[in-house]
Formats: sequence, C-alpha cells, structure tokens
Amino acid sequence: MPDTPALALTGLSKHFGRPAVDGLDLTVRRGEFYALLGPNGAGKTTTLRMVAGLLAPDAGRIAVLGIDLALEPIAAKRRIAYLPDDPMLYGKLKPYEYLEFVAGLWGIESQAAEPRARELLAWLDLDKHAHELTEGFSRGMKQKLALAGALIHAPELLILDEPLTGLDAGAARQVKDLLLTHVQQGGTVILTTHILEVAERLAGRIGIIQHGRLIAEGTLDELRALSDKAPGATLEDLFLRLTGPA
Amino acid sequence: MSVQPGSSLWLLRHELRLFWFSLSSGKAGAPRRPAWRVLGGGLLVWLALHAGVFALLHAIGPTGGMPPRQFVIAVSALLLSTFLFMLSSALKRSVETLFDRGDMDLLLSSPLPSRSIFTVKLAGMAFGVAALYLFFLAPFAHVGLLLGQLRWLALYPVLFALALLAASLAMLLTLALVRVLGARRTRVVAQVVGALAGALLYLLSQAGNLMAQSGGVAATASARVMASLQSVDPGSLLFLPARAALGDGAAVAMIAALGLLAGLLTVRWTHRFFVRGLQQAAGNARVVRRAGPVRYRFDRGLLQLVMVKEWRLVWRDPHLVSQILLQLLYLLPICFVVFRDNQLQMTVVGGGLTMLCGSLSASLAWIILLGEDAPDLLQSSPARALTVRMAKLGAAVIPVGALVALPLLWLILRAPLAGVLAALTMLGATVSAALVNAWTGRPATRGEFRNRGQRGVATRLLELCSVLAWSALAWLLQRAAAGAPATLAFAAGLGAAAAIALGILPLAWLLRRRVR
Repeated sequence: MPDTPALALTGLSKHFGRPAVDGLDLTVRRGEFYALLGPNGAGKTTTLRMVAGLLAPDAGRIAVLGIDLALEPIAAKRRIAYLPDDPMLYGKLKPYEYLEFVAGLWGIESQAAEPRARELLAWLDLDKHAHELTEGFSRGMKQKLALAGALIHAPELLILDEPLTGLDAGAARQVKDLLLTHVQQGGTVILTTHILEVAERLAGRIGIIQHGRLIAEGTLDELRALSDKAPGATLEDLFLRLTGPA
Repeated sequence: MSVQPGSSLWLLRHELRLFWFSLSSGKAGAPRRPAWRVLGGGLLVWLALHAGVFALLHAIGPTGGMPPRQFVIAVSALLLSTFLFMLSSALKRSVETLFDRGDMDLLLSSPLPSRSIFTVKLAGMAFGVAALYLFFLAPFAHVGLLLGQLRWLALYPVLFALALLAASLAMLLTLALVRVLGARRTRVVAQVVGALAGALLYLLSQAGNLMAQSGGVAATASARVMASLQSVDPGSLLFLPARAALGDGAAVAMIAALGLLAGLLTVRWTHRFFVRGLQQAAGNARVVRRAGPVRYRFDRGLLQLVMVKEWRLVWRDPHLVSQILLQLLYLLPICFVVFRDNQLQMTVVGGGLTMLCGSLSASLAWIILLGEDAPDLLQSSPARALTVRMAKLGAAVIPVGALVALPLLWLILRAPLAGVLAALTMLGATVSAALVNAWTGRPATRGEFRNRGQRGVATRLLELCSVLAWSALAWLLQRAAAGAPATLAFAAGLGAAAAIALGILPLAWLLRRRVR
C-alpha cells in the first residue's frame, strides 16, 4: 500500500518520573527524508527507541509501514533498522563477521547478504580493514560499520540517532551520500541531529520537538512561515525562535 | 579542614570521597552515601566482633614477654598468608588502576605533579588492601587498649606496613611487566601472578596433604621445615613480622619503617614510569589488531550464528579467558588425587569434575547471557528472543561438555557405573548453573565479570549452592557405587544433597519472576 505512511505515531507517551514523550502525533511519508530536531532532553531519542522496539510506550500507538509494532513486533522490525548514537558493535569481531551476524539476525539469505556486505564495506572504505578487530577502529569507522550493519537488509525505514556525531568531514560526506542514495532508491530516513545545517540540506521535512511534543513541522519554507521569520532565515534562526523562551 | 587545592592531601580527600560514594547502591536517583541499613549492619557486626574479642582477651588475661615458639611460628604462617592475599589483592588493584583508569585521564591532563597522583593512588591501594584485615583485627587493638593490653595496638602499624609493602611490590611488578611484556600482555600476566600468589599456600598445602597420605616425600619435607623452624633463633629476622604483631616495640618500628621505605622508594623511583605505563595502557586500547584470516559464512542459521559469535568474542579476549580459567585453579588438587599411586579415586574425581563443570558453566553463562555487548542490536532485530537465548545457553554449556568429554570417557571405560553417575551429576551441575544465571542474573558489561558477585548477590549465592550441592551429590553417589555402607546418616546426606541440587532451579525460576 503505497499510501501507508512509513511511520505513524499516535498519542505516543513515555514517562520517566516526568513526561519524556507526551502524546506525540507524528507521520512520516514513504520515501521521505525526515529530520527530528529538538533541544537536549526534548524526547527525540526516547521516541526513536520506542519506534525501534527498545522501549515500551506508556500510551499511544506506533505503526511502521502500516504494521502495528505492539501487535506484530517481528514483522515490523524486519522492515526497519535503528542506528543509535553509540554504535552497537562487538569489539572482538571483524567487519565481515559483524555483518554476517547482523544479516543472520534479520534472516537475510546468504546469496543476498554476502555481496551486499562487500558492496557496503567497499562503499564506506572499510574493506581494507577487513582483517582488523573493530575495537581498534576510530569513532568514525565504528559509526560507518554500524551504518553498514543497518543497511545490510535494505530496510524500508532507516532510523538514525545523531549519525554524524564525531565524524570527520570525509566520513560525514560518505554517510550523507549513503543516506541520500537510500532515499533516492525509495527508502525512508528519519534522523535526529544537532547539526542543523545537515537537516537543512538533507531533509525534505523537519519536525521540531520540545518537552515530548511536536511544536512545529514542515519544509524549511513552511517553518519560516510558521515562525514569522524573513525568507532568508536559516534553520538555526527558526529553531532558536521556536524552542527559545517565549 | 582546608587543604591546598592540588596538593597530595587534597587529592587524597577527593579519592576518599569517591570511595565513600562508591559504597552507595549506584542506582540512578539514589543518594550517594551508603544505605543506612548497610552501614548499620556493618557496625553491628563490628561491635559483635569487639564483644567476642573482649571475652577472648579477658579470658586470656595480660601476658608478659614473648609467647612460646610454636605460637610465634603459627603467627608467622598467618602473617605470611595474609601478606600473600594482600599481594594478590594489590596486584588486582594495580591492574585496575592502570587499565580501568576511571578518572586517570582527567588527573593526567591536569597540572598536578605525577608524584602526587602516584602517591595518592598507591596510598589508596594500600588502604583498600588493608581495610578487610583491619575490619577483623582492629577490635583486638581497641579492646586491648581498653583492657590495658597495649601490645595489641601493634596490629595497626603492622597491617598498614604489610599493606603498603604489598601495594608497592604489586605496583613495581605491574610496571616491570608493562616495561618487559608491554601493556597488552601485562593485564593477563599480572592477573595470573595475583591469583597464584593468593592460592600459593593453599595449593602447596593440598599437594603436601595428598602426597603425604600416599607416603610421599612431602610429609618428610614438611617435617623438615618444622624442625628447621624450631631451631631458628626467635630473634631472627624470619620472625620479625610475628614479633611485631605480638607487640615487640623494636620489631614494630622496623616493620613500619620497612613499609614506609618501600612506599617512599616506589614513589620516588617509579612515578614517572607510572605515567608512561598509563599512557601505554591507554594506547593499547586503540592498537590495530589483526586476528588471523577473515573467515565468515553468511549461510549459517541463527542458532549456529549466535553460538559462533559468542565463542569468537570469548576466545579473542585473553583477559576474560584467563579470568575464567583462574577460577579453576582451586580445583587443581584433583589432579593430585587422580594421579596418586595410579589409583582412580572415583569419589573425589566425580565430585571434582562436577564442581568444575558447574563453575565453568556459571562463568560462561554469565559472560554470554548477561554480558551482551550490543543488547539493543538484538532487541531491535526481528530474531526471536527465545531462539537467541537458547543459542546463548548452548554456547555456554557446549564448551564445558567438550572440555570434560575425554576425562569422562576415561572414567566410563574404567568404571562404567561410576562414570555414568559422574556424567549425570556433571550434566546437572552444568545446566543448573547456566539456568540460574539465565533466570536470575542482571545484564552487565563483560568488564564487570570479576566483580559479578557484587552486582547479583542472589544469583551468586544460588549458583554457589547449586555447584556445591551437585558436587556433594556426585561425591555421595560415587561412594554408594563404591559400596559404602548404607547408614541412615548416609541416606539422609544423599537425600539432602539431591533435594538442594534439584530444588535450586525452581527457586531460581521463582526469583526470576520477581527480578524481571
């Protein structure tokens, strides 16, 4: 069903003593590059972790490509990939062994997984480190390998939490290119970032979240209109205006 | 009291504050101080110790002069084993200081002189090493003071001096190992040396006992050692620590001076190399390691895939492997039994192998099931949690089976009934220890393996009870198979061991529901 959104959150709530996510409604269309922005503690990571099935919501509904995550978690997880800001790697495994494991978790056939692993490692310049344990990798290399793991099963919905933190310019460019290619091929990307230029340049739509609620959403121009800023205002101006003290 | 910021005293105060906070529950939102219940409980035990010591010293009454030679020899042996345990503990702490780092990066990047940092770390190590012994022995000093038996006050300087000596030796040894072997190997080697130091007296005594029973050489050797000690002059340096502990003023001064001198010289000579050692240890974490050829197969099923991944992770971590194997050090005396006079001692071997299986399985289950490096990856994947868990259980118990397969086969061929009974108890101990961890354990990082008992007291207790009960059951069954008379006491023992061994799992299951 092409009209089904890639992600639909309805009344999503999560409390940790105080509300972290508070009745959040959010819809991301298929094939969209969506950036979720917000100040520290706004509830971005909690939201993404609930979508990835790592946290159970206190209330609300999560539908991934039309599949209710609470009712069919395995079917939903098959179609998504989650990349946290701290890469989920095993220090004592080599890159191919890591991808072999991740492909196995997602049940990918070896005929598809092996060439895909080669392609991803070559694309991310990690093939020359194939003999090395990942514990010796730099932060950027670890992040790239984790991204390769997230892409090995060609997920329809890719969720990334601060994917560019700590990457040098070259590695950041590689990751951005890979994400754009994923969207061009029909995939959906949702990312959080504190680097507003990245969101401004890559995202088709931007959502701004504060105190666990969506306070603004739209294209850059729509956000400009919302915040009464001049046509040339940057995303940083808009963000500070929308999230700053009233 | 105000102290100069940046001074050794200031840093020591900071360390003591961190130590105090470390006694808290560690839970988010919990107060940083230790729970009053824990403090109160500890204080009650300490007061009870004081009462016991009061009764003892009151009964003995004041004694003048030096006690009999036999007593001095016994105290010397006690102090030697205390020192070896202190050395073992100090080696563990010196490795932690170098490799686990904590706040070392912050301290090293500050303008504090390396000598101050090293002095405080060494003092902290010595204090940590002495604390346990002071808890149990300080009541003698306090009660002695109360009763006017001032000689007991010597325990304070003697214990501190021994702890400082042990800490200095441990730090020197660790730094020497870093220089000779490099940072990477030092961690494993220092740990092995530490465990050997702690177990040395036990292993020697066990070997001696077992060989002595078969009329071996060791009995003669022990007798010779005792005879030589009897003829040694009580004023000899050999008995200096014992004389000091028993209140000889000159000996106390010499021991205290020795400890202080060791500490001062260690700081003076090695504070710069300590910093270099820290830098090497830090660089070691980022060393590019080529671990042989790349072998991967994308056609493995999920069960096989998880097991292979777990075995790779354990096998490639020599630090972890050495920690697992060191636990088995205390089972070495079984070897003496097996090969004694070429006679098979089925009762001991059956019990020993069962204990080996239980201990190994518990360690591997903890590492593999609870010490998962990427739990979010597994949880966010569509792989069924039950399948992954079963694969992990398999990964924990299969190596145990592989390790004991040959000795077990040998046992079965030599004595089929006893061998089959041993196989059953070994299987029971292996599966039970693994399931106890699987059901009641709390997730942790693999680095916490060494201190796993602190994080899960209930799990550790259940695991120990399970291993001991299965070992006792194995021993009793082997005795029954060997034709031991079926007395009521024997039957009761067998029944009790079986009930505990089989009852642990339902209990663990019940606790599982409470924990999770």
